[in-house]
Amino acid sequence: MADFETSDDDYYGDDSLDGLDQEEDDLLWTPQRTPSSASKVITRASLLAAQREDLKRVTEMLTLKEHHARTLLIHHRWDVERLLAVLVEKGRDRLFTEAGIPILDAAHQASARSTSSIMCNICMEDISPNDVTTMDCGHCFCNDCWTEHFIIKIKEGESRRVRCMAHKCNAICDEAIIRNLVSVKDPEVAERFERFLLESYIEDNGKVKWCPSVPHCGNAIRIDGDSYCEVECTCGLQFCFRCSSEAHSPCSCLMWELWIKKCKDESETVNWLTVHTKPCPKCHKPVEKNGGCNLVTCLCGQYFCWLCGGATGRDHTWTGIAGHSCGRYKSDHNKVAERAKRDLNRYMHYHNRYKAHMDSMKRENKLRETVQATIATSESKDDGFRDYSWVTNGLNRLFRSRRVLSYSYPFAFYMFGDDLFKDDMTEEERQLKQNLFEDQQQQLEVTVERLSKFIEEKFDKLPEDKVKEIRMHIINLTVLVDTCCKNMYECIENDLLGLLQSTTHSIAPYTSKGIERASELSVCPDSDQILNSSKANDDDAHDPSWVSSAPGTDSEPRSEGQVSCASLDDNGCSSRKRAREETLGSLLFDLNLPAEVA
Amino acid sequence: MLDVSRVQKELVEIDRDKRISGVSITLHGDDISHLSGTISGPIETPYEGGTFQIDIQLPASYPFEPPKMQFLTKVWHPNISSQNGAICLDILKDQWSPALTLKTALLSLQALLSSPAPDDPQDAVVAQQYNQDYPTFVSTARYWTETFAKRSSLGIEEKVQKLVEMGFPESQVRTALETCGGDENLALEKLC
Ligand SMILES: [Zn+2]
Ligand SMILES: [Zn+2]
Ligand SMILES: [Zn+2]
Ligand SMILES: [Zn+2]
Ligand SMILES: [Zn+2]
Ligand SMILES: [Zn+2]
Ligand SMILES: [Zn+2]
Repeated sequence: MADFETSDDDYYGDDSLDGLDQEEDDLLWTPQRTPSSASKVITRASLLAAQREDLKRVTEMLTLKEHHARTLLIHHRWDVERLLAVLVEKGRDRLFTEAGIPILDAAHQASARSTSSIMCNICMEDISPNDVTTMDCGHCFCNDCWTEHFIIKIKEGESRRVRCMAHKCNAICDEAIIRNLVSVKDPEVAERFERFLLESYIEDNGKVKWCPSVPHCGNAIRIDGDSYCEVECTCGLQFCFRCSSEAHSPCSCLMWELWIKKCKDESETVNWLTVHTKPCPKCHKPVEKNGGCNLVTCLCGQYFCWLCGGATGRDHTWTGIAGHSCGRYKSDHNKVAERAKRDLNRYMHYHNRYKAHMDSMKRENKLRETVQATIATSESKDDGFRDYSWVTNGLNRLFRSRRVLSYSYPFAFYMFGDDLFKDDMTEEERQLKQNLFEDQQQQLEVTVERLSKFIEEKFDKLPEDKVKEIRMHIINLTVLVDTCCKNMYECIENDLLGLLQSTTHSIAPYTSKGIERASELSVCPDSDQILNSSKANDDDAHDPSWVSSAPGTDSEPRSEGQVSCASLDDNGCSSRKRAREETLGSLLFDLNLPAEVA
Repeated sequence: MLDVSRVQKELVEIDRDKRISGVSITLHGDDISHLSGTISGPIETPYEGGTFQIDIQLPASYPFEPPKMQFLTKVWHPNISSQNGAICLDILKDQWSPALTLKTALLSLQALLSSPAPDDPQDAVVAQQYNQDYPTFVSTARYWTETFAKRSSLGIEEKVQKLVEMGFPESQVRTALETCGGDENLALEKLC
C-alpha cells in the first residue's frame, strides 16, 4: 500500500484531469445506477400483486383453483421451487394430501343435496339442505356450525390452515366458503381472515421480511439470494436481513447479538467495582485498594482486611494484620482479580475503538452537510463545469468503511476471545490469526483516517493546483479503502470463519457498492385486475393503521382481553404478528376481495 | 355461548347406553358447563374393577373447542399426572374436532387406560417406570386402583368426611353411602 499516491488504481473516469484511467466501474458509488436490484421492496400496495405472482405460477402450472394453490404455497412457505420439487418427487396426490387439499370427489355433494333434511353432526339438529355446506373433502355440516368453527379458528390465529370439522379430516377449508360465511356473521373477523391470508406471504415466507423500521415504513423486503445479506429499504433503513437488526457485518448475527447485550450489560462496571473496591464493614461505602498490602482504610477511619472484608486494627506487616487471621491466600485472591481485570481491559480495548469509529461516523455525518454545501458553492463559482463526484464518492466510501471498521472491533472481540471459538483454535493458531487480522484492520484504519483528513480539507478555499492534488489523494484513497475492506472480509471469510472446525459462522458478504437498496417490486402487466384493486389502496398508503403495524412495537405489553392472540405462540407465530394484531385493532385495512369472489 | 341443546342431547345419549359403554356423566348442579364423568377400568388391565371419576369443564365455545377433562380419582398411568390428574391426550388438545362428543372423549380415556403411550408422557416418573420396570408399574397401577378407584375400599372414611364437611349429619351420610355402594355422587344426590 506504500505507493498508493502514484498508483493508477483509479476508477475516476474523467480524463480531463491527470489522465487517470477508469479501471473498475464496479467501484463507482452510484447506487441509483443499479437498474433493479435482486431484493425487492414490497409495499402495502404491491403485497397482493407479489402474492398473486406466485399464486399464478402455481395455479397455471398445476391447473388448480387459487385457494388450493394458496394452501399449497402456505404449506411450503411460499417456496415455489420446493413445492415443484415435492411434486416431482412424490407426485401430485401426495403433494395435495400432505398440504390438506382433498382430491376432489363431487359425487358426495350431489348425494347430500337430494335428501329432504340433513342431520348436522355438530349441533345435532335437522337442517334444511339449503343451510348446509359440503366441503371439498365431502364433509357436510350446517352453516351455523361452520361459521362458528371458522370464527374461532381465525381468532386463534389459524387462518392459514383452517381444517375441516370432521374428526381426523386433514382437509383445509375452502377460503371462499370461509370468507362468505364469516362475513355474514362477523365482518371484522372476515377482514382479519383476509389480512392473515395476505400477510402469510410475509410471515410464512423465508425470503420476505418486514422492514424493522420504527415507526414502521409499511414495507417488507423480499430477497432473491442468500439470506446472509444486508439490505436497504426504500425508507432508508439498512438492516441485516437475517436478524433484522442494524447492518452489522463483518460481525455475524450471533456476535452482534452478544455484543449488544454485553454493551448494555452493566456487568462490566459491576465487575470492575467488585474487583477494585470492597465495602467498608462500618459505613458500607466502596473502598478502593491502593498499594500492595491488604490492609485498607476507609474515609470513615475504619481499617479492614482487603481479602475478607473484615474489620481489623491498624497494625500490620506485609503478610498479616495483628490479631486478624482470615486464612485467605493472597495469591488466590489476586488471580481472580487479575483475570477479571484482564477481561475487563480486553473488553474496554475493543469497545473504545468500536465507539471511537462510531463517533467519527457521527462527526462525519455533519461533515457531509458542510461538504455538500461547499460543492454547491464551488459548482456555481466554476460555471458548473467542474465535477465534484470524487468528493461525494469519497464521502460515501468513508461512511461505508467507517461502519466496517467500527464493527470489525466487536468481530475481533469474539473471534479471538473465549466466548465463541475457544475450542476451535489452539492458542498459537489464535495468535497467528489475530496478527493476520489486525494487519488488515490496521491498514484499513490508517487509510480511512487519511481519507477522512483529505475530505475535511476546505477545497473551495484552496488554489486550483492544490485542489487537484487533494482530488488525486481522495480518488486514490477511495479505491484503496475499498480494497482494504475487501481484503479484510476475505481474510475473515477465508482464513478466520471459513476454517472453523466445529461451527459454521456466516456473515453478510462485502459489497463495494454498499448495502444494496431494494427496488420497488414491479407488477407484471397481466395482473391488471390486481393492480387496479391495489391502486385503490395507494391513497392511504400512509394510513396509520398500516404504519402502526410496526414490528418495532413488539415491546408493547400484551393486552389480556385479546383471546384472539392468546394462542398465537403455540401456533408458531411470531410476536410481531401479535403486536400488529393488537395495534391494528379494528382499523383493518380495506382490502378488496380477490377478483374471483368480488 | 355454550350450545346447551347439544350438551343435553349428548347427556341423553350417554345415559341411554351407559351400561354397555361403561362410561357415564352426571350433572354437578344447575351449571351444565361443569360435569362429572365416570369410566370403568378396562378389563385385563391394572385398572380393572376400578371406577374413575373425571372432572369435565365445558368452555363457552364447546363443541368448537375441546372440553377440559381431568381425573379426580388418583391413577397411576404414564399419560395421566399422578399429582393432579391432568391428562395428555391429543383429542383433548389440538386433535379435537367439534364432531367428537363427551362420550367419545370418555371412551378415548378408557382406551388410553388400556393402551398407554409412554413416549408422550404426562407423568415422567410413571412413564420411566413403565418403560424400564414394567412389572413394578403394573403392580403400582393395580395398587392405586385398589386404593383409590374401588367404591367400597379404604376411601370410605374420606368420603364420609367430605360429605360431612358439606354440611350433612354423619349418620345420614353413612347410610346414604352404604345404600349407594360407596358412590359419593349418588350419595350426595340422595342427601340433597
Ligand atoms: Zn350444525
Ligand atoms: Zn372433511
Ligand atoms: Zn423500511
Ligand atoms: Zn444479523
Ligand atoms: Zn467506612
Ligand atoms: Zn501496609
Ligand atoms: Zn481477612
